[in-house]
Amino acid sequence: MKKWIRKSLLGLDGLAEWEIRKIIETAELLNSKKEKGNSNQSLLNGKRVINLFMEPSTRTRVAFEIAAKSLGADVITINAKASSLTKGESLRDTALNVRALGADVIIIRHSAPGSPLFLSNIVDVPIINAGDGAHEHPSQGLLDIYTLIQKFGDLKNKRITILGDILFSRVARSNLFGLLTMGAKVTLAGPSTLVPKEFEKLGANVSHNLKDALTGADAVMLLRIQHERQSTKHFPTLGEYSNMFGLNNSTLKYLKDDAVILHPGPINRGIEIDSNIADSKRSLILNQVKNGIAVRMAILKLCTSIN
Amino acid sequence: MEIKNLNLLNARVYDPLSNINTTLDVFIRDGKILYECDNIDSKNIYTLNLKNHLIVPGFFDLRVHTRIPGNNSCEGIKSISEAAARGGFTDILAMPDTLPAADNPGTIQYIKDRVEKQSLVKMWLAGCLTTGSKGESIAPLGSLKDAGVIAITDCPYSPNNNQIFINSIKYASMFDLPVIEFPFDRSFGSDNFTHESAYSLKLGIGGSPRIAEELAVQRAISISKELDVNIHISSISTINSVQLIRRAKELNFKITTDVSLHHLLLNETAIEGYNTLAKLNPPLREEIDRNALVSGVCDGTIDAVTSAHNPYSLHEKQVEFDIAPSGAIGLEVCFSGLYEVLKKCHKDPLAQILNLLSYSPRRILQLKQNYMKSGATANFTVIALDKPLKYDLALGTSHSENTPLNYKIFSASPILTIADGLIAYKSNNISDLS
Repeated sequence: MKKWIRKSLLGLDGLAEWEIRKIIETAELLNSKKEKGNSNQSLLNGKRVINLFMEPSTRTRVAFEIAAKSLGADVITINAKASSLTKGESLRDTALNVRALGADVIIIRHSAPGSPLFLSNIVDVPIINAGDGAHEHPSQGLLDIYTLIQKFGDLKNKRITILGDILFSRVARSNLFGLLTMGAKVTLAGPSTLVPKEFEKLGANVSHNLKDALTGADAVMLLRIQHERQSTKHFPTLGEYSNMFGLNNSTLKYLKDDAVILHPGPINRGIEIDSNIADSKRSLILNQVKNGIAVRMAILKLCTSIN
Repeated sequence: MEIKNLNLLNARVYDPLSNINTTLDVFIRDGKILYECDNIDSKNIYTLNLKNHLIVPGFFDLRVHTRIPGNNSCEGIKSISEAAARGGFTDILAMPDTLPAADNPGTIQYIKDRVEKQSLVKMWLAGCLTTGSKGESIAPLGSLKDAGVIAITDCPYSPNNNQIFINSIKYASMFDLPVIEFPFDRSFGSDNFTHESAYSLKLGIGGSPRIAEELAVQRAISISKELDVNIHISSISTINSVQLIRRAKELNFKITTDVSLHHLLLNETAIEGYNTLAKLNPPLREEIDRNALVSGVCDGTIDAVTSAHNPYSLHEKQVEFDIAPSGAIGLEVCFSGLYEVLKKCHKDPLAQILNLLSYSPRRILQLKQNYMKSGATANFTVIALDKPLKYDLALGTSHSENTPLNYKIFSASPILTIADGLIAYKSNNISDLS
């Protein structure tokens, strides 16, 4: 396999299949090493990883912290409730300062799409995108793909349905780009107001009918309805959404028996998915969380291996 | 510059509106154009041989954002007027999106005082259509006219309330004030900086749909017909807007329109890599839109072309795409860029440029034309054709650098601008001419 040459991970758009495989193989390697009781502590020993979180996050932030610490790095997390601009400092200056403070890697979560790319043009250290607005969330996309590969082996021609609020979802975009690269067939499904037809130009099938979207799918990835964001502009009520697009015991029958269910969290139980389905055998939700650490370790290891 | 007397020899004077298209010697004496003159060799006369060059009526820009007062960047009235002169503009219309807004006679007077002291070209002022351009109440249009505004507009906003919009237009008609509408329906959200398309979906940027502009275009057309008044629709950007206006003109509605240079040269892909320099208002759209706009300027559906000049410091643009201000500078390259567009699609690009950059803007604002007739005050531009020039900000006069067009090569450019009888711009290369 080719040598990893990417210093920053900004998104899955543009990543080659071998690069995605390389990350997943590295994740597997690190995982198995850990399970055998071997330490990975020397890999990032003495490196300073800065978590620059300009938007609230629990699981991604913690997963990156655990991943970096497992590799022996010093981790410092900066939580800024809003854009640094509200304090008068631009993101550019914040980044230059963080770099001057000795950051070897910057992991950024920001509400503005494109901000990781913006940072990578300013500072010379690896930039890891931990979610930028509605653009990309590559580590989430990679852990989802890893989880699916664990289940199916190969994703070629596998039918993956991503269901929910696609318009505002960075998880949907990273998965779309990554899954298409891996040869999967991706259907984006949900209300017409949240799943624009234009996604077809990006290679997806678009469906506004739950039955069609679920029938024949090998996996369905549910997304959280971000009701704090849409209010009443994109769909009437959460109850209506649940009735039309929720995965419950009566709509579950459209799925194949061996189809699996993923959810990036946090889950709105009873809205996009019924509680018992989220906890059922088909659900890979906790595998996703676990794989999230290994994938993030792999990202940190690979991106810091470039000089 | 103080030179008041000039001999411009062997230039082709081109002013179709005055039926002039001849190689002539032009003499400027006390700011007036003369074609015959007996004192040619006096000491204080500056002589240029303009063989192979063209003298045309000065250009007029219908949309310039000085944001003075309120502009915290490095620009002033003087530097903006220098950029205008460098682009061949003898006249520009300053938009009222100042801080405080140009919605009251005091602010207008303040701007006028500065303009009088500092501007090298004629800087006309537009006042707000509604108070603070908020769309909630009619601005004191009569007093604004008395204070000196020659047009009213809420650009870069548009009143969302239809009743207020209609009433302010009705009210403006009393004073014979041209109304300029910047078509954007704000109920789609306040952001109008990226085009809603597969491209913006991919970048994760919430886009503004074409329909947000087209509904406002249709509204202006309907109101113009209903009230039988002229409405100038500024800065259109979509294929459908071009078609709506073409149809309205076929029906002899009193509608005119313009487009900004950038929308003729670029499409949405200019924002690649979240390039804030290409973040404009209205947004750059798809290639089919750009093509329709180019057709519109070629066939005359679109009456005028503007620079939509909007200067920002680089540090203001070097921020996250979401929060970057929209707008680009354009005065210096407007003619040159438009020439590139028209030479590919028009049999007489210069004649059409004069329509778009000189005759129509003055007609829309009900102003006198800049005739090249003997005895007229000199307001003209000398153009060097077919001399490729790389646009280089470092060599320009604008203090701002927010342009997506840096390093583009243009084959024609203004080399001398005479505004109100005085030299407003003279290219450094001009000594090479002869």
